[in-house]
Amino acid sequence: MKRVLIVKTSLDGHWRGVAVVTRLLRDAGFEVIYGGELRPTEICITAAEEAVDLIGLNIGGRIEVVERTLDEMTARGIDDIPVFAGGTLTPRGVAALEARGVRCFTPGSTAEEIVATARELTATTFDGIE
Amino acid sequence: MLPLHHGWTVRGSRKGGDTEMTEERAWHTTSGIPLKPHYSAEDVPVDWDPGAAPGRSPFVRGAYPEMYRSQLWRIFQLSGYGDPADMNERLKFLLAAGETGIIVKHDRMTDDHLYDVDHPEIVERREDVGLTGTVTVGLRDYETIMDGIPIEEVYTKPGGGVPQAAPYTQSCFWSVALNRGLDWSDIRGTGQSDFFLTYVGCPTREQIPPEAALRFNIDLIEWCTERMPKWVPVSIAGYNGADSGLDAVQELGAVFANAIEYIDATLARGNLDVEDFVYGIGGMNFRTTMDIFEDAAKLRAARKIWSDLLLKRYGVQDERARRLRIHIVTAGSYMTYQEPVNNIVRGTVMALTAALGGTQSLGVSGYDEAMSIPGDHAHLMSIRIQQILQEETNLAAVADPLGGSHYVEHLTSEIEQRVLAYMDEIASRGGFAAVVDDGWLIQEAARTQAAFFDDIESGDRPIVGVNTHTIDDPLMTVEGFEGRSGAETWERAMTRLADIRRTRDEQTTRRALQDLRTTLAGDDNIVPAVMDAVQADATIGEIGEAFRDVLGDWRPPIRF
Repeated sequence: MKRVLIVKTSLDGHWRGVAVVTRLLRDAGFEVIYGGELRPTEICITAAEEAVDLIGLNIGGRIEVVERTLDEMTARGIDDIPVFAGGTLTPRGVAALEARGVRCFTPGSTAEEIVATARELTATTFDGIE
Repeated sequence: MLPLHHGWTVRGSRKGGDTEMTEERAWHTTSGIPLKPHYSAEDVPVDWDPGAAPGRSPFVRGAYPEMYRSQLWRIFQLSGYGDPADMNERLKFLLAAGETGIIVKHDRMTDDHLYDVDHPEIVERREDVGLTGTVTVGLRDYETIMDGIPIEEVYTKPGGGVPQAAPYTQSCFWSVALNRGLDWSDIRGTGQSDFFLTYVGCPTREQIPPEAALRFNIDLIEWCTERMPKWVPVSIAGYNGADSGLDAVQELGAVFANAIEYIDATLARGNLDVEDFVYGIGGMNFRTTMDIFEDAAKLRAARKIWSDLLLKRYGVQDERARRLRIHIVTAGSYMTYQEPVNNIVRGTVMALTAALGGTQSLGVSGYDEAMSIPGDHAHLMSIRIQQILQEETNLAAVADPLGGSHYVEHLTSEIEQRVLAYMDEIASRGGFAAVVDDGWLIQEAARTQAAFFDDIESGDRPIVGVNTHTIDDPLMTVEGFEGRSGAETWERAMTRLADIRRTRDEQTTRRALQDLRTTLAGDDNIVPAVMDAVQADATIGEIGEAFRDVLGDWRPPIRF
């Protein structure tokens, strides 16, 4: 079973989007670990410890904090873990993150798109069974 | 069979201009009240009595006799970002644009968590500082925020959305008033200290446990009741519960269950009579959505439920004390990312609904809500929507314009019955604090929200530009508010923090903080101790540290 870490990058507490995505991925057969509100370094530590196949970032803050998370992943040698993101993103924020390989979902995205992307992003990672 | 995104299925085929159609749609309100094609006198329960006129118990028809003829609703927009000086500038802009009350929104990271800007949680996210509100390090920043604002004239919400931040934030504001030589008894405004924000809608890390929050709120109620007759010490606010999922019935039911908890806890202390303080906490906040008639009826029902609750359960004889005043925030979650300018229409509909229901104040979510905090134009638009409704539509002329409609009276009565049943359910589960603490209310919101999402997915709930009538039109996009990185705001706050620590009388600060810890560990009212601490230049983080050390924190019962 593919493992997904879902975290919030900012200290804002909104859980609507997280709840929707968690439910969709579980229903689609993923194991979802909800990490709550984590700092960039904590996201990396948790992702490594939990050996996740995919990281989902719920963003309620600025892109720079997400970029710090990506930089931290590179510094720790775990940037092979694919990342997708959703939340309150401006069009420019989406462009900035997608330029760094992060797949973004804005409000109004469909369940089908989200699940298909999660499957695609984890298609090549070893899940311990294959 | 051709599925359409309209909630019904069209069967059959077009034959020579004729359409054979079988509609299978089950019409109902968003909260699930079944709807008939039309309503007649017999649909209004025989024992339903909305009262003859607005301004009289049970206030179904409005809180005041003349309603908007005597007082238009207050244009009351959530606002705040950046440095205290940015906040000050924004407040002056909004007042100049015609806003009639001001809200100081604080940086959620530093203020709601009571963290200094050098806290590790902040340092690693420093670019976020100031994005969700203005960042303060202590009382001195509050002087900057309020510089040149006539606080003796303007209705103010100084901040303090979460209970642990409310004593700090309001103490700062009241200290500014004190420093200007103003009399607290003249100051008009409202606190928030909102359980729905803190423990249901947006539970975040390191919040004091609900029982400590209840103590804080009762302390505020007692402190303000004695000194500030024109102040709403705590505002029971359903919005954040509703916008994370609770429907109209669940929202009202939970709000009034919350109110019962406050009243019972205040009475249990034995210091105040019920009639002393219930008017003060009778300024409540709800949400309006796109369901025009359900939500207008919801506000009518809310006034009656509150009035009846106070009369029947608490024996409040003073009619004025039973008058519920309502603040509405339009549903941010209904604002779409796709074709965001359409949200100007949605904001208008939701604002109109609030007015039809007789709100006393209103904040309209920015049309760019789905992507950012409001940009300048979105902010102005939220004010313009309200001004246009107030001044161009003749809406202000007649109170309770929906009153007497068989449909709306039916809905109002139906909502009342369902809300009373929901309150009973919460009571049977141990009361409001219990269903917050054990996560039941969050689960209720999550379930309702999941069903809502599924309806959007299936097309049963059409949203123009999102799941129906979608087109690829670049003319309909907006950029959202980018603002600037918070890194500089953070650096300036770090400088102010260093200044405050360097220039204050350290002994006085230490003594005040020690007194605060002693008060927190005992039973005395915490407001004077917090006030002393802010006036002794204790920083926000030092006050937070005292709370965390003495009161501990709460682990949100979020189970997805």
